[in-house]
Amino acid sequence: MDTTNESLTTPQSTTDELKIKIIGVGGAGTNAVDGLVLDDFGGTGNVQLAAINTDAQALAHSRVAEKLVIGRSVTRGLGAGGEIEIGKKAAEADRDAIAALVGEMDLIILVVGLGGGTGSAVASIVAEVAAKTQALVLAFATLPFSFEGSRRKHIAEESIGELRQLVHGLIPLPNDILLQEGEEDTSVLNAFAVADRWIGRGVNSLCAMLLKTGLINQDISSIRSVFRDRGGRTIFGTGAASGGDYVSDALEDLFICPLLHMGDRPAQLDRILVNIVGGTDLAIARVNEVMSLLSKRFNSRDDIVFGAVIDESRSASLEICVLGKAGIEGSPPARRSAPAADPSVVPLEGLNLQPEIAQDDRPPRPVHQSKLRESKKNPEVDQEEFLFVDDNVQRGYFDKTDRNLYNDEDLDVPTFMRRGIKIKIKSS
Amino acid sequence: MSESRVVGAVEIGTSKVVVLLGEIIGDEGLNIIGHSIGSSIGVKKGVIQDLSAASDCVHAAIMKAEKNAQSRIDEVYLAQTGSHLMGNFNVGTTNVSSSDNIVRGIDINQAKEDAKRRKLPPNRTYIHHIQNPFALDGQPVDNPLSREGRQLQVGYWSVHGESAKVSDSIRVIRGIDLDVSDMIISSIASGAVLLEDAEKDNGALVIDIGGGTTDYVLYREGYIVKTGVVPVGGDHITNDLSIGLRLGRKSAEEFKIEHGRAYYDSADRDVKVWLYGDLTIGDREYPLAAITKIIDARVSEIFAIIKEQLENAELYNPADIACGVVLTGGSSQLTGIEESVRRNLGLEARVFDGPLDVAAELRHPGYSTALGLLHYALTGQEDRQKSAKPASILRKLTGLLNFD
Repeated sequence: MDTTNESLTTPQSTTDELKIKIIGVGGAGTNAVDGLVLDDFGGTGNVQLAAINTDAQALAHSRVAEKLVIGRSVTRGLGAGGEIEIGKKAAEADRDAIAALVGEMDLIILVVGLGGGTGSAVASIVAEVAAKTQALVLAFATLPFSFEGSRRKHIAEESIGELRQLVHGLIPLPNDILLQEGEEDTSVLNAFAVADRWIGRGVNSLCAMLLKTGLINQDISSIRSVFRDRGGRTIFGTGAASGGDYVSDALEDLFICPLLHMGDRPAQLDRILVNIVGGTDLAIARVNEVMSLLSKRFNSRDDIVFGAVIDESRSASLEICVLGKAGIEGSPPARRSAPAADPSVVPLEGLNLQPEIAQDDRPPRPVHQSKLRESKKNPEVDQEEFLFVDDNVQRGYFDKTDRNLYNDEDLDVPTFMRRGIKIKIKSS
Repeated sequence: MSESRVVGAVEIGTSKVVVLLGEIIGDEGLNIIGHSIGSSIGVKKGVIQDLSAASDCVHAAIMKAEKNAQSRIDEVYLAQTGSHLMGNFNVGTTNVSSSDNIVRGIDINQAKEDAKRRKLPPNRTYIHHIQNPFALDGQPVDNPLSREGRQLQVGYWSVHGESAKVSDSIRVIRGIDLDVSDMIISSIASGAVLLEDAEKDNGALVIDIGGGTTDYVLYREGYIVKTGVVPVGGDHITNDLSIGLRLGRKSAEEFKIEHGRAYYDSADRDVKVWLYGDLTIGDREYPLAAITKIIDARVSEIFAIIKEQLENAELYNPADIACGVVLTGGSSQLTGIEESVRRNLGLEARVFDGPLDVAAELRHPGYSTALGLLHYALTGQEDRQKSAKPASILRKLTGLLNFD
């Protein structure tokens, strides 16, 4: 098997040009990449968009520059029809073409909708191929609505377990939860677009951090340091505001971000990447304020990587993007790139928090760290104590109990989420 | 002869531990001489997760009640709940043995034994065998003794639980050097005190919504025909609010108690409620609709599950549940819960406000299970429902415990 992926923490790209490829996999993934509005990175040549699908016709409509139809020999270009086995065969048949498309990148962002035939099956194979390169691989994966049925849900859960082991950071976007954003009368069709918008925010923030110069510059090696291990759990949240007291409002928006309030959210994040994008009027004092608030809020013990970017086209506005990594399974290196032998042993819920992560290979420290140091006077304090320190850390209350299955639904998950009932909490 | 014994009724609930001390004098009656409610730690969805934390809470509550009564407990009656409890309906059949086709005692026993003979997987234990009516040649009879017929049948609703979980709760009690005389599932205990005999005859559904579970028992023609546990309770409502409103558990709990309603009303859209209401920093306004929609979804689901389970057992027939629903348990305090029952179960509902023959301070829905336990301690299993106890169960479970 490959051994190259172990040198990830030492970026070997010597050219100045950073190469990022965003790959949409399957129908939903392609749609998301298609709709991706890349603020102003499109023209720079740093960011390339690509799409992989089994359905030639769907791909033909895509505006993405680089397209790959896989498994023509299996499906005659007609799609996988929701059959995961067909999707798998299709991807296996065209492994070489996938490898060519993946190429040699610094950062690969996979975008996939899980639950169907192509995305669920092909994403892990693309991830496997990408794992053999030097690239840092992140994946945004949308999970089907509960009301789409238990079959799609099972497929999605299995694939997410498999995919998680293969990429450096997997960001699950459960549609049930995303529905909570946006207007009250969001229809399901709009809800799919909501997921795409979230992906767009995450992708843009990552690209901005890497490609724009700012108050606090972060490069690919800082991102690598956060996502240095494969597997584990990634959390993702964004908040934005403009006008008025936009700093407080953006923080508020971030703190009520539904993705940060999922039932299975880990109590303790091991490493956090925070990027803020502000206008020309964003003062360094405000940036410090945001940073110290966030490091307190997320209880991250050691490693917070902060980036702050100025976008000349904005003013009086702030966008915050948080990516955190937790619960890295210490699997032996030889097995890391191999697909999970049995996806069912990697359940969606119940992550195995392992606080004793090796502390010796610390990443580059952020530029501003005086405030951070203050907020963690006692780094030896153990995990249980942290849970009591901050009441706001909404750990899934039923996390450690047996799953509460009834008719294939987990009753511990809020009913309103399973039923797709939208709750509007902002009073205005 | 007026020998007295002190019985402790213990309910290890998800949110609280309830202990009642009753003094039973001969066969005459029972005086409640002490009580205590303590917070419960280490119990989720009615099941003990953390044995030592739960033990500490239970022991503290027992000692407090004993101090309150200035008396020591002789024996404990223990409530059981949790999703591991399941039931099945078994019918025992026997051919009347004598040549004159007159039913004798031996035939009755034969039919009963036949109904109870179904073996459980090794990790499960029977908790109750609850007798249902006899049938003689297909005709229901109350007492078949000395009646004429060829084939005698009897139905039993049998409740069983996971041995490990049941013995965990016994272990907690034994940890303070007390013996468990009997175990009764929460729903049956509550039902015993909540309903009049006439209500049991006309059909009634008792729903006990606690912190971590919702227990129900259905009476029809005076018999317990079905019990069930939905492992969802007030904790879930709080958790839903906490996730949906993105609040800490404490604030969510306060919202639930302060502003919660079991059903959503479109007028709630225009009502705003304050998080703290004290003009402090961080105080926020929330639309009442957000709160009531979240609770409505959860509470409706609980009732929908009960309805579905009754329908699956072919027992959901409003005409047979003429006395409607009687609600109890801590979460029955939720405003508008009766209306939610009406909407979701199509049955009239009332919230139990305590039996009149107990002190005012015990007339709280949180006490009904413990009161029911005392009721069983007094009447034994010779109640009208003839809930027969598998004799060996306690001995069997005790055998699993190793204290040496």
